[in-house]
Amino acid sequence: MTLVAAATVGALFALGTFLLLREDLVKVIWGLAIISQAANVYLISMGGITEATSETVPVLSSHHEPFADTVDPVVQALVLTAIVISFGMTAFALALSYRAYQENESINVTEWKQ
Amino acid sequence: MTAWLAIAPVLVVIVTGTVALLVRRWPRLQRTVSVTGTLAYAAAVGALSWEVALAPDASGIAYQLGGWVAPFGITLVADALSAFMLAITAVVAVYAVVFSVQFIDEQNQRVYYYPLFQFLLLGATGALLTGDLFNLFVWFEVMLMASYVFVAFYGNARHTAAAVRYVVLNIVGGAIMLLGIGGLYATTGTLNMADMAVQLADPATNTAPVVGLSALVFVTFALKAGLVPFQFWVPSAYRAAPLPVVAVFAGATKKVGIYAIVRLYFTVFGNTSIGVDVPGVAGDTALTFLGPILLVMGLASVLVGGLGAVSRDSLEELLAYSSIGQIGFIAVAVGVAALTPSLRHLGIVAGLIFALHHAVSKGLLFLSTAVVRDMVGSTRLSNLGGIGERSPTFASVFLVGGLSLVGIPPLAGFFGKLFVFEAATRQFASAAGDTTATASAALILAVLFAGAVLTILYATRAWIGTFWGAQTEGVKSGVLDGTQVAILATFAVVVLAVGAGFEPVYQFADAAAEAALDTDGYVEIVGLGGENA
Repeated sequence: MTLVAAATVGALFALGTFLLLREDLVKVIWGLAIISQAANVYLISMGGITEATSETVPVLSSHHEPFADTVDPVVQALVLTAIVISFGMTAFALALSYRAYQENESINVTEWKQ
Repeated sequence: MTAWLAIAPVLVVIVTGTVALLVRRWPRLQRTVSVTGTLAYAAAVGALSWEVALAPDASGIAYQLGGWVAPFGITLVADALSAFMLAITAVVAVYAVVFSVQFIDEQNQRVYYYPLFQFLLLGATGALLTGDLFNLFVWFEVMLMASYVFVAFYGNARHTAAAVRYVVLNIVGGAIMLLGIGGLYATTGTLNMADMAVQLADPATNTAPVVGLSALVFVTFALKAGLVPFQFWVPSAYRAAPLPVVAVFAGATKKVGIYAIVRLYFTVFGNTSIGVDVPGVAGDTALTFLGPILLVMGLASVLVGGLGAVSRDSLEELLAYSSIGQIGFIAVAVGVAALTPSLRHLGIVAGLIFALHHAVSKGLLFLSTAVVRDMVGSTRLSNLGGIGERSPTFASVFLVGGLSLVGIPPLAGFFGKLFVFEAATRQFASAAGDTTATASAALILAVLFAGAVLTILYATRAWIGTFWGAQTEGVKSGVLDGTQVAILATFAVVVLAVGAGFEPVYQFADAAAEAALDTDGYVEIVGLGGENA
């Protein structure tokens, strides 16, 4: 599981970095979105999966064993916040890229005169 | 008790920002709300500073958000260090908002200018007060979100191009910071900074990953602060954003990066011993690891900023490069503090005083640039000249800012430079006997000296180009706004007052440095386990 998570994060970062280095602004924004998501996947895998006990998950005290494995709820909360932030950022970046395209008359960032 | 004071500045800006958004249809009312709100913010910061740093029985205070006990909830922590940085922010913000009323034209003021300004302030305030690492990330994003819009504010080709670069860099920076935070959480099992300090001090914790993880968050902070090699966004963003906002960028948001470095490395990581050997680094704490890196980055910033500023041909680009260089001075002071345990206190004091000086002096100069822009319609040095003849008052305002940048007593800049050089000289003295250490300390001094000379050069260049010589066409036909100059004249008095009445400023900075280094005190303020809840 750890290996799968690590490979996924690595692949996402590689793809994101590749897109980030393109000349086409839309691809750059895609790269940003993917890098943000890669960070989120990494963040969620930092919590790890552990055996559940009623110590860590209070609601389980009224349930019967065996319990399913649980994940750390803190990182889940963090990732939710981070997803919302990266959603807003991506939306803004897309809107901005359209305006930048109109003003600079090219979607290729290397052709911008400014 | 007075715990609510810790959240007061945040509440004031959030309310001001929201109300400013609601009264958007009534521009006069909106202006009144923004100015009053920012003054209320300054008052809240003043009260907080008195409570946690200046009063005879001052001590830090913590506010547990939602009543959740630390380390489980989010804690807002106000100690002398936070209060000092907040005070800097408040001074710059008040002048920037009052000046905006005069400077930003009617039409532009109506497109969400004031609400955004308040949200920019909100991000900076939250970042300075929070005691939770992930919350720090969130406040950074709040601050950035507003600053993106400001960089793209005028919406033409160069503004949008600058904004795209700024946004891309900062989103990547944000992702990198998340990586660092996630790793630190996995290492220590907590996000609360005080709790993290406790966990790291526990010998049972494996602290080896902290070197790399702290480097990841450091990268993001350095990006915010605009240190070399992360300075690329600074000139274009500063050239694109409205000038009063640039004064806040240079004065407040950049300093948040420096604050975060000081807070995390000195207060939280502090003297965590790290069981790995990093090649070429003596010692084994997070700070000895940070020291050389910060020094190299700071020195490079001093040179890049200085050389860049000397060769630019418009006022705001010159000042933007100058601000890269000046942040370098702060970084060098903090780097010296990290490297040499005996100079820790002095180095932080030097960094803080320089930060204060840079915020007020550079704020004054950026706002003066705005006056020039309004009058002449251009800030290219080739289009300027002879403004000194037109208005001796405005010339003397600019002169105060310029001389303060150069470091002439009794202005604010004198003490900034004095302390930074004192820290560097002491390090030179303490290195006696050790050849490598002496050589590197000498190099630091030499670069700082070169940086100071470059500062004199570009400040003189800006002064001569703008105020001396024959009046150009633009200057002859331009109309100088008397109100703007009057506002700046009072700002110039502030720059003078910081230097002339230096004793209380020093005490404040001294208390702030004390707070930055006092990990146990910080943990006690936060009250882990809920003694304060």
